[in-house]
Amino acid sequence: MIFAVLLLPPLLAAALAALVKPYRLVVGWGTALLALAPLAGGVALCARILNGEVLTWGSGEFLRADGLSALLVLCIAFVAALAAWLGPGLTAADAYSAGERRGYRVYSNLFAFTMFLAVTAHNVGVMWVAVEATTITSALLIPLHVTKPSVEASWKYILICSVGIALAFVGTVLAYFDFVNLAGEQPAALNWTALLASAPSLHREVLQLAFVFLLIGYGTKAGLAPMHTWLPDAHSESPSALSAMMSGVLLAVAIYAIIRWKIVVDAAMGPAFSHRLLVALSLLSLAIAAFSLIGQRNYKRMLAYSSIEHTGLTCLGLALGPLGVFAAMLHMINHTVTKSMMFLLAGRVQQRYQSTEIAEAPGLIRIMPVTAGLFAAGMFAIAGLPPFGLFISEFALMRAGFAAGQTGLMALVLVLLAVAFIALLRNLNRMLYGMPPAATRTGENEPWALAPLGLCVFILLVLGVVLPSPLNGLLNRVVEIVSP
Amino acid sequence: MSAWLVEVFEALFALALAPGLVGLIRWIKARMQSRLGPPPWQPYRELRKLLHKEVVVSDNASWLFRFAPYAVSASTLAIAFLVPLIVVPRRFDMIGDLFVVVYLLLLGTFWLALAGLDPGSAFGGMGASRDVTVAALAEPSTATAIFSLALGAGSTNLGAIVVATLNDPRTVLTPGHLLAFAALFVVALAETGRLPVDNPATHLELTMIHEAMILEYSGRYLALLEWASGLKLFLFLSLLANLFFPWGIAQTMTPAALAWALAVLVLKLVILAVVLAVIETRVAKLRLFRVPELLTASFVLALLAITSSFLLR
Amino acid sequence: MDVLFSQLVVLGSSLTLICALMLLWHRHVYAYTTAFAWQSVVLTGIMAVVAYFERDAEMYFVAALFLLLKGWVIPRLLRRIEQPLGDEQELRPYVNTATSLLVCALLVLFAYAVSRPLVALSRLPTRAGMPLALGLIFISLFVIASRKKALTQVIGFLMLENGIALLAVLGTYGIPLVVELGVFLDLLLGVIVMQLVIYHIRDTFESIDVEQLGRLRH
Repeated sequence: MIFAVLLLPPLLAAALAALVKPYRLVVGWGTALLALAPLAGGVALCARILNGEVLTWGSGEFLRADGLSALLVLCIAFVAALAAWLGPGLTAADAYSAGERRGYRVYSNLFAFTMFLAVTAHNVGVMWVAVEATTITSALLIPLHVTKPSVEASWKYILICSVGIALAFVGTVLAYFDFVNLAGEQPAALNWTALLASAPSLHREVLQLAFVFLLIGYGTKAGLAPMHTWLPDAHSESPSALSAMMSGVLLAVAIYAIIRWKIVVDAAMGPAFSHRLLVALSLLSLAIAAFSLIGQRNYKRMLAYSSIEHTGLTCLGLALGPLGVFAAMLHMINHTVTKSMMFLLAGRVQQRYQSTEIAEAPGLIRIMPVTAGLFAAGMFAIAGLPPFGLFISEFALMRAGFAAGQTGLMALVLVLLAVAFIALLRNLNRMLYGMPPAATRTGENEPWALAPLGLCVFILLVLGVVLPSPLNGLLNRVVEIVSP
Repeated sequence: MSAWLVEVFEALFALALAPGLVGLIRWIKARMQSRLGPPPWQPYRELRKLLHKEVVVSDNASWLFRFAPYAVSASTLAIAFLVPLIVVPRRFDMIGDLFVVVYLLLLGTFWLALAGLDPGSAFGGMGASRDVTVAALAEPSTATAIFSLALGAGSTNLGAIVVATLNDPRTVLTPGHLLAFAALFVVALAETGRLPVDNPATHLELTMIHEAMILEYSGRYLALLEWASGLKLFLFLSLLANLFFPWGIAQTMTPAALAWALAVLVLKLVILAVVLAVIETRVAKLRLFRVPELLTASFVLALLAITSSFLLR
Repeated sequence: MDVLFSQLVVLGSSLTLICALMLLWHRHVYAYTTAFAWQSVVLTGIMAVVAYFERDAEMYFVAALFLLLKGWVIPRLLRRIEQPLGDEQELRPYVNTATSLLVCALLVLFAYAVSRPLVALSRLPTRAGMPLALGLIFISLFVIASRKKALTQVIGFLMLENGIALLAVLGTYGIPLVVELGVFLDLLLGVIVMQLVIYHIRDTFESIDVEQLGRLRH
């Protein structure tokens, strides 16, 4: 039942938007309302999980939701709702044509559906199919405004991500090969619980080879360096609502896939192998992101590189034992809320200044004071300052690292975080203050749209001060699943 | 005693039939192009004509020019004694194996290149440099393909390889075998100067390789060189046929087996002649800078062959 | 019988590898599509051989679907993209032909080294072809990285999917049907989306040269 509430509304919304021609604003409002249903479903799912249940559906448990799935479902539903309410197609004043609005409504809902399927599928093959489908559904949305940079970005996105996902499939096939050689062919062979159950007897070397392919493959989708080259382009050239979905939660879905496989591999050969690989890739991502943030001239690319940095931090947390996993999951939630809000705010800034260059968008505090305030809050958050939630999660990460004995590593991470911090705040300074260009209009357009964004800041403040006990309980369940 | 006689007869048989093979290929090509074409025994008439003609030698030529045709013919004839045509195992195996064959071919190429350079004409020098380039690039493929065959048979001795393949017919379908065949086929096209590497019927400056080197020759020298090039083609094709598909070759000295082996050899050569003619009609000559790419492809095939036969043993 | 099965399968895998080499050898985009189509046909043949020797009816169905999708539908889509482009040649890829061929030979050797544990573990008669499937995967990655035209990159990606399918067939006689169907659907939709993006590229850049897509830097 809960699965129906999660999976059907996006499909219905996509069908609604596809069937009504020409596009009418009421369709936009309809799809936005439908986007609230998965949010309610996600909260209900978390409640059931906290009660200790694990929900399944379908013959052979086709869909299965445990604590980790519930966490991701909540994040996806939240961001999808944000993108539905603040994306193009709700008012006549946004800068898109009717065809573009319709395209956005159809594909963004399909995108949300594929993400929900990816995190609730029991079969790792179906999970793969859903992740590949996310690439396909989002690739057409990047060039919503067909310009040279956006077409370039969408080509890089679809090619690099498809190749990466294909490599993840090689890893899936190799793991299946390992399992089949052990236990013979069974229809339930690719269910990840079956893989986990037989993990200790799986062949080490083959599984190692498989995990390398899987990490490279899903890591491409998550934005881990050195496979991250598509990320700054795709996230900066797409419409801001899509960037919010991609940066906020698609990266998290890719990390979810990595975590599922990590559980199996750790059960088979101990955590050392996967931890080594994760630490190496995370450090590389952190370093590249931190140094690319210096001298960044485009504020959307700046946010994209910050996403790479936070993906690196999340994956680093996964490699630091149970405390690290807790910190990583908390960090994932915080980053989802922050980054989606930031991209939507960046969209408002772009709409006003008609440019994504930092040098061409100064004086924000004079032009749009409320937006500027929220933007500043968000920037402080992603730079890791208190009293926002990201500070708490990064602190928890550090603590986990020191507890695991990785003092040198943590010192290096601190240095890189400091570099990113300086770069981000310098850019914020340049954007907030200074003389705006003469022809820029003052005042907010669509002030009601600021309410959900204000809600995001409120959530971040709450998470920065106290961790609500339901969330604590959910995170503890996730840690049990990931690091038993 | 009779064994030696049989093998000498083999070599003379090759010598006698070589111009016929060249004529047959020419005739099939003509028929495929909807022409009547000269009959398959035309090369014999040409050789007879050339033997009666006067020899004209350039003033700038040295003794190399007069000696080279004999050197080339001699080396090619020596190969004729080593290639298994009708019977295995061979008495002559004690003097040579696959490597000796390859380097006798190279000896012939070397002398021909010198002969091209010697009179000092522009065409000759150009042809010589092109031919040596092709030969140098074909070397790695040949060596690697030979290694892959030798790995399977445990010896580079030609007779031993053929006997090994006859004893274990399933090796014919292995990818190592087939890839080595493809690699050596391309090398054969390159070494004998057939399309797509070199056009044997052209005299245009842009497209000559072999023809350029023998441009200055006339009379009996030209006859010897034409015969040698025909013999080279005959021997290459029979090597390809007998190393990779050796059925029909005689393993005993009975007259019946020998006659049968002779007939089968002629049949295999006719099939290969048809294949060659079809390829030559369908394919255009490669531009010279693309010939290294073709030979690299042949090398890659040979490398894959040796990998398969090494790792799938 | 087992030996014949094994030999046929290895022969087929070598032929798919040779189709990949043909793709590197040619310069016209038209030849790329032809090489890919032939490779898909050979792959279908291998699947049919496996289905015959293992008496697996499901495999016949998968093979038929594979032939339909990759032997007919996708090459038609590709031809439809390349026709308006006229005589676009992959004139000078980032790596020239001779070097590409040598790199591919090295990649096949690397694949043999990497797949040693796989061949050692497997007890199936088709295991000898697994290094070739892995080699095909590596060669496809090289093709994608070294081509300059968007369409040839797509064909490289399709070849990568062929290599993965070959690996699945040789290693485990195919993957569960529901996943297989999902993969086919994904692939078809993926190619359609790539086609649409290439149309966008052609409309905005007037060519499908990937070198032109270099505006977004740092």
